Amino acid sequence: MYCLETTNLVHQFSDNEIVLNDINLKVAEGSIYGFLGPNGSGKTTTLRLLLGLLKKQQGSITIFGEPFENNRVKILSKIGSLIESPSIYGHLTAYENLDLLQKIYQCPKSRILEVLSLVGLSNTGGKKTRQFSLGMKQRLSIAVALLHHPNLLILDEPTNGLDPNGIIEIRALLTKLNQENGITIIISSHLLAEIEKLVTHIGIINKGEMMFQGTLDELRNKQNELLFISIETNENESVIEMLSKEGIHSKIEGAKIFIPVIPKDKIAKIIQQLVNNNIEVYEVSIVKNDLETIFMNLINNL
Amino acid sequence: MISFLHSFQSEWLKKQNSLASWLVLVGGFFTPIIIIIARLINYKKLPAIYENDFFWSQLWQSSWESMAIFLLPMGVILATSLISQIEYKNNTWKQLHSLPLTFTTIFFSKLVVILVMVLQFFIFFNIGIFLSGLIPYFIISGVPYPKNPIPFLTIFKEDLYFFVDCLPIIALQYLICLQFKNFLIPIGIGFGLWVASLSALSWKFGYFIPYTYSILNFLKTQDYNKAAIPGMNIHYLAICYFILFTMLSYFLYINKKEKG
Repeated sequence: MYCLETTNLVHQFSDNEIVLNDINLKVAEGSIYGFLGPNGSGKTTTLRLLLGLLKKQQGSITIFGEPFENNRVKILSKIGSLIESPSIYGHLTAYENLDLLQKIYQCPKSRILEVLSLVGLSNTGGKKTRQFSLGMKQRLSIAVALLHHPNLLILDEPTNGLDPNGIIEIRALLTKLNQENGITIIISSHLLAEIEKLVTHIGIINKGEMMFQGTLDELRNKQNELLFISIETNENESVIEMLSKEGIHSKIEGAKIFIPVIPKDKIAKIIQQLVNNNIEVYEVSIVKNDLETIFMNLINNL
Repeated sequence: MISFLHSFQSEWLKKQNSLASWLVLVGGFFTPIIIIIARLINYKKLPAIYENDFFWSQLWQSSWESMAIFLLPMGVILATSLISQIEYKNNTWKQLHSLPLTFTTIFFSKLVVILVMVLQFFIFFNIGIFLSGLIPYFIISGVPYPKNPIPFLTIFKEDLYFFVDCLPIIALQYLICLQFKNFLIPIGIGFGLWVASLSALSWKFGYFIPYTYSILNFLKTQDYNKAAIPGMNIHYLAICYFILFTMLSYFLYINKKEKG
């Protein structure tokens, strides 16, 4: 069952500017869904639509099995969110910021200290949050999102402004929340490396269109599909002709020829043929695409 | 209703230590403090002033002079803008609109907070007036305690009129603040309308400008030559404007395409 599902979501800010086109998100219950895309790809717009911060134009949004439009308040009571930069009141302390939200959620007062401790802000005392560093503000925003024990967390680039230790801590916290409490998490980022270790599912968006959606394993399988062998010689044109006769599809990029992965004995046979034809072979190597390259290829439409 | 109360509590907490809350406190006691200082400086005239049969009424009138014409309209303009600005300044509209509250609850709980703040301002101002009457009496020897009793009923009635008279300002400023992120726009429009109100006081249709009512309410018992006092009840007109601006503001707010 999907915790969150969108169907044919389309959004445009003006007649000529379609920012989201036919977005069909499927976020499985209990998953950590990494929503990836470069800056300006439509991630934040999608997340704002999911929270009702933007008026929906086309398509449908279903959260916890219910249409968002008709059940906004009920659904939002089970969602914790952090959209873009931290949303906290600078003239109040961390405790006061959570206190005013506790009034809305009516969760126990003790929960305020619990979440402050979870994000490592227990000792901020009477310090106003305008004096906090960006990292501290980001932690407090995460505490805000966690205050009412949400079933779904929607986090837009939550590790922005955090130092490497902070990033690792937040990652560990989110994994723990997902594994121990079964919270479904949607986390957006423009860096695959940042969330690769955290997520179970990935959705890749570029220029308002979904380029990939599936489990991390499915993306890794794509990695295997995209293995290449590169060959560098002094007569690339002749080599391509020769490979074509062997039924091997190839392409030239720069000074190198790329062919799909073939069995070892076939590689040896090709090298033998090249040498027999007095072609100088400078390099034969396997090009392994990492997830980052796949991501880059997807967003560059390669 | 319960969610409205929770939302109101939350909004009330937000204004703690904010500029708006300081403005209410300082604005409420500003004129009384000036009066106390002026009376202590001119302490020789105090026995005669305190022996006057209408001491409290005169004190109340002189306190309201600057308040009704300048401080109340400007204070209301500033306080309303500052309350709305809390969300813009802290980038928190998106957080507020992601809470499990209807937009109606959010809209009205903020408006009620502003109304209660203005009430709070009236309470501080009235306490200040009484203190400005009592403090010189306690400090300066030979000053008699005023003979006549404090006219509570008249004061309450006039306070209520002034409160009703500033409702259109609250509603229109709230409407403008919800539409514009830039703090200077509501302040500028508010100041412009206040200046227009002053300029139009002697015009027979000046009372149609919604920022004129507290000024007209004060001037109705003063010098009639300064203002064209309308024959109709301006307090009803103020209530009508308040309802109209609130409805328009609510409609625009609910139909905003982007909520943070």
